[in-house]
Amino acid sequence: MAAIAAHKFAQCITCHAWSPDHSMVAFCPNNNEVHIYWLVQEKWEKMHVLQKHDQIVSGIDWSARSNRIVTASHDRNSYVWNLEGSEWVPTLVILRLNRAALCVQWSPKENKFAVGSGAKTVCICYYEQENNWWVSKLIRKRHDSSVTSVAWHPNNILLATTSTDGKCRVFSTFIKGVDAKDSTKGKSADLKFGELVVQLDLSLSWAFGVKWSLSGNTLAYVGHNSMIHFADDIGPSPLAQNVTFRDLPLRDVLFISERMVVGVGFDCIPMVFAADRRGIWSFVRFLGEKKTASSGSSYGSQFSEAFGKLYGQSKHGVNNDARGNIHDNCITCIVPLKENGTWTRRFSTSGLDGKIITWDLENQQDLSEYL
Amino acid sequence: MAGAEGHVEADNAEAIITRIEHKTRKIESLLKQYKPVEALKTALEGSPPMTRDERCKSANWIVVHRAIMAIKDVDGMLSSLDPEYYDILMKYLYRGLSTGDRPTCDQCLRIHEKLTVRAGLGCILRCLADTVNTERSTGSCAKKVGSF
Repeated sequence: MAAIAAHKFAQCITCHAWSPDHSMVAFCPNNNEVHIYWLVQEKWEKMHVLQKHDQIVSGIDWSARSNRIVTASHDRNSYVWNLEGSEWVPTLVILRLNRAALCVQWSPKENKFAVGSGAKTVCICYYEQENNWWVSKLIRKRHDSSVTSVAWHPNNILLATTSTDGKCRVFSTFIKGVDAKDSTKGKSADLKFGELVVQLDLSLSWAFGVKWSLSGNTLAYVGHNSMIHFADDIGPSPLAQNVTFRDLPLRDVLFISERMVVGVGFDCIPMVFAADRRGIWSFVRFLGEKKTASSGSSYGSQFSEAFGKLYGQSKHGVNNDARGNIHDNCITCIVPLKENGTWTRRFSTSGLDGKIITWDLENQQDLSEYL
Repeated sequence: MAGAEGHVEADNAEAIITRIEHKTRKIESLLKQYKPVEALKTALEGSPPMTRDERCKSANWIVVHRAIMAIKDVDGMLSSLDPEYYDILMKYLYRGLSTGDRPTCDQCLRIHEKLTVRAGLGCILRCLADTVNTERSTGSCAKKVGSF
């Protein structure tokens, strides 16, 4: 099995993030709190509850080197949490939004973070030493709808966004005084803050879940029309590929290697996509058994299951446990498990069923050629 | 500026109409030779017409409709139809269902069932999510298409 561990933490999880050493996991149980659990003798125990937001927490990111947590919420604010002694101390970041914040991500150097919002804007936040204050700088124009996902290029300057206007865009986030001129290599050095590098117009419907490959050469994002899009050579003339698949749409993606992507979404089971020697992407397979949902009887059971969930019937809970290490509902979040800042073949997923499942692709023989 | 654009669009529409007329003749002759699958392939070729012009869309729909209604062996048709046409066919099936015409709906549902088994739910989602080439959303999407 590709799934190596699974635990049901809550009724529903909006997003999750791991501590640098993976001993702790932070997630939002679909309310205004962030819960931090840690593994004690094979059992998950609640360690901290971060309470400061007023509404659902839509994004969490835990920085690997500086050990800080950033959260974004529908209450239009962000908090940066620092561990002081045994307490997580919040610092309010005023994003200056008039709509919900939807996603958040630390930059690779951890000196900036990006927040996507329902106000058709992206906030780039950075720390101002003299004021002891996180400043939010907005990319206001360009987006025609909510920003559903943000992803940092490894060079710490370029930021990719997806939006419900169906487009994927790449911006420069160069901030004077934060980003040193010499650290920006090549083309991205001359770009001003908020400058649009490229706009990809591949999806005819909402776009979600954008990610860069490890080298930053390839970009992948998904649309709500059961398609996944890949773009190489991000710049004036990107090379784009669309891959259609026969199942329900994806919500988020993750590069495992330069030639392999895992997508998660409404089909409740991760899908593997890979590029062949010529660089042509295609669907490879599901990770694990797919639920059989084609016969009439199983539609019936899905219905009763849905009702069971609605009325909190316990016997269905037992049913779910028997299914083991798979999600029972839409997967909304996929997070890489990095070791010492480098990528591995492991990742974790969370979704509307409240489970966090850890996956390892190390022993998947048929996929090893793409790793 | 906008006027010039409209002019180009009109010219384009004329060309498309001519092409569709040509297609109609070809399909009629294929149907006479009892080659309904070939007829459907011909009808779907060059679809969607990639235009906002309702006249073109309707004209193309009439051709595709003619070919769809001539299909008797659905399984045989689907196995000889190239999968790249599945998405387009699905869009026309929904257009057929939206007419409310009894024989058309019967035929479209019959094909829809078999097509879904082959092409999966993704095919339906792509059809529902396509706001450019389907009839429903022309109003709201006219602006969007204009910028392409």
